[in-house]
Amino acid sequence: MSSIRINPFPMPDLLAALEQLQQQTTNTTLELATGSTINKPSDNPGGAAQVIRLNEQSSQAASFQSSIGSINGQFSTADSTLSSVVSSLQSALSLGVEAAGGTLSPAQLADIATELTSTQSQLLSLANTSYQGQYIFAGTSTAQPFVLDPTQPPGVGYKGNAGTNSVTIGAGYQVQVNLPGSQVFGLGNATGDVFQAIGDLITSVQKNSGIGGAVNEIDNALNYVTTQRTFYDDGLNQTQTQQTYLNSQSLSLSQQLNTVTAANIATLASQMESEQTGQTATLEAIGNTPQKTLFDYLA
Amino acid sequence: MSSLFSALSIATGALGAEQGAMDATTNNVANVNTPGYSRLRPVLTESDPVVIGSVTYGQGVTLDKLESVRDPILQQRIEQETQQQGQLNTFVSAMQQAQVQFTSSSTDIASQISNFFSSLNQLSTDPANITLRQGVLAAAGNLATVFNNTSASLTQQRASADLNVTQAVTQVNQLTGQIATLNTQISQLQGVGQDASAFEDQRDVLIGQLSGLIDVSSINSDNSLTLTTANGTPLVLGGQSFALTTQTNASGFQDVYGQGADITSQLTSGQLGGLIQVRDQTIPGLISNLDTLASGMANALNTANEQGFDLNGNAGTALFTTPSPSGQGYAATMAVQITDPSLIAASSDGSPNSNGNVAVLAAVQNQNVAGGQTPTDYYSSIVANVGNDVSNGSAELNASQLALTQLQDQLGSISGVSLDEEASNMVQYQRAYDAAANVVTTINDMLYTVINMDTLTV
Repeated sequence: MSSIRINPFPMPDLLAALEQLQQQTTNTTLELATGSTINKPSDNPGGAAQVIRLNEQSSQAASFQSSIGSINGQFSTADSTLSSVVSSLQSALSLGVEAAGGTLSPAQLADIATELTSTQSQLLSLANTSYQGQYIFAGTSTAQPFVLDPTQPPGVGYKGNAGTNSVTIGAGYQVQVNLPGSQVFGLGNATGDVFQAIGDLITSVQKNSGIGGAVNEIDNALNYVTTQRTFYDDGLNQTQTQQTYLNSQSLSLSQQLNTVTAANIATLASQMESEQTGQTATLEAIGNTPQKTLFDYLA
Repeated sequence: MSSLFSALSIATGALGAEQGAMDATTNNVANVNTPGYSRLRPVLTESDPVVIGSVTYGQGVTLDKLESVRDPILQQRIEQETQQQGQLNTFVSAMQQAQVQFTSSSTDIASQISNFFSSLNQLSTDPANITLRQGVLAAAGNLATVFNNTSASLTQQRASADLNVTQAVTQVNQLTGQIATLNTQISQLQGVGQDASAFEDQRDVLIGQLSGLIDVSSINSDNSLTLTTANGTPLVLGGQSFALTTQTNASGFQDVYGQGADITSQLTSGQLGGLIQVRDQTIPGLISNLDTLASGMANALNTANEQGFDLNGNAGTALFTTPSPSGQGYAATMAVQITDPSLIAASSDGSPNSNGNVAVLAAVQNQNVAGGQTPTDYYSSIVANVGNDVSNGSAELNASQLALTQLQDQLGSISGVSLDEEASNMVQYQRAYDAAANVVTTINDMLYTVINMDTLTV
């Protein structure tokens, strides 16, 4: 009777199995250490590509959030500046109303004119406010936008331009971040030119003539600037809404990334135990490979 | 009628046959750990009988030969699988090195692409800011550098594969020379009817090593072995070997020649096949993909920058060095063209604080500038392809390893030496020898009786 002959050298097979188990344990250890199932592209080629895209979206979201941080500074500075402009105009309006009462002496009117001149200087200074080194009411110019210029009717000339900038704060979502100073301060606007109004009020108080009309101009300018201010309030509202959206998007992207890459620690721990058991069993098998042959019994 | 002398002759023949069988066992035990050794088996046959009258007298046993137990078909399958494994092993090993360049990190190409476009987004919030402009130039520089480094690393790997091609060819030539020498010895021994199994074993080992290096086809005929490559280029014809040579091609790499013909593209198995695949196809393909991505981005960004105006109100110029129309080799040489941050054309109308053209530059991130895809999508495709190459190659390698192990198990079960079996055989031959010796003693006694018949007293 013939029997099936078996390979008398099982050791190479056992060593190959041991090597494979050790490789698996190394991979499992790496996954446990990093907490990620994708440590190189071959771990999950499709997943690795997805991770790149998700990381890009996360990076974009972070970049948009950073941009929002920067433009919020511009919006806030512009808004608070215009708030100060409104206060100055209200102050001018009060002085104008007082001067228009017809009860003040020439000296008192002169004092008011002096005070209004100071307010004019404040307004000029406010119109030249800068944020991080750039004038916020200069359009897209870097030049100081408002300068004293006796040749101009209001005594103030505009050296900025009419350009505006927009900043991307989301995929396909841009927000305009500035208005040209000429528009904000109503230069040449018949019912809202701030510098024309304050100039006219000073002149009328100095001459004690036509003060009522000048006060109306101030009132119009006040309303006009208040209207312009809403642009910056709206901008702040838009960025806040977008910030909330981006926060939620970042969270969602982080969750997606986690879904693609996160290692299941419990599964890995179980897998590692199983691999270690396999290794132990293989080592025992190697150790228990028969050391004796028939020769040992023939003595 | 049989005689005592013929019986003695039969018994003596049996002693010789069992001694010969014992030689086989001794040799098997001695070579139990010799790589490539095929166990010997005694071929015992019954001697031709003698017929005298109506009686047939057996003439004992003859030891025809000690034969090696082999399975040429299985051996050939092992050689084929070894070739496959050699190719896969080389390919996977090379691609594992290559994929390091494409493993996600804070300094990989994907991160540098994101960083560059983030720097543009930052610039859009304050376009005249020199620090932010410098940030854009630095990010552009980092992007160019990571393309340069990745391309250089792949090129270096290609050069290393080329060096290995030369070394593998040298090894092939050494092995074919040794095989040819063994062929001569085997042929001479077999020609005079002698056993050449020891040399055949050595030759099988060498052919196994050769199979790991190159795709080999073997043809056995009339005591002669012919080895050729899969496409028929002769390597060994009997006692003659034909050396492969290498010649530098137009690209500066070594082509493999056999019998004066360029056989480089026909080598698809073994280490050489893997090296040539990596050197001439896979890595050049990756470098070409990087060139496409780098040149596509540079062209689009250059065009965008040229549409705008710099901080001085002048028309924008190219941001990066200009790629050739084909883009070939661009990833290795990509560089930032401008060094003055004020030359970034952020403005769309010439006014210094305009950011209108930054949006045009940033829009490149979502434009299909490389292979009909956005930069990041194209790069992620490259990464997925590299990952698939390694993953699929590893799976094939494991399958090949498993197949090879099984084939070697099968061969071991046929040709391997079992010490238990040899001990059993030894007992068997020893007992047979003892019995034959006893027969000789008995015949001797009988002859003694016959010779001394007249002097013996009852």
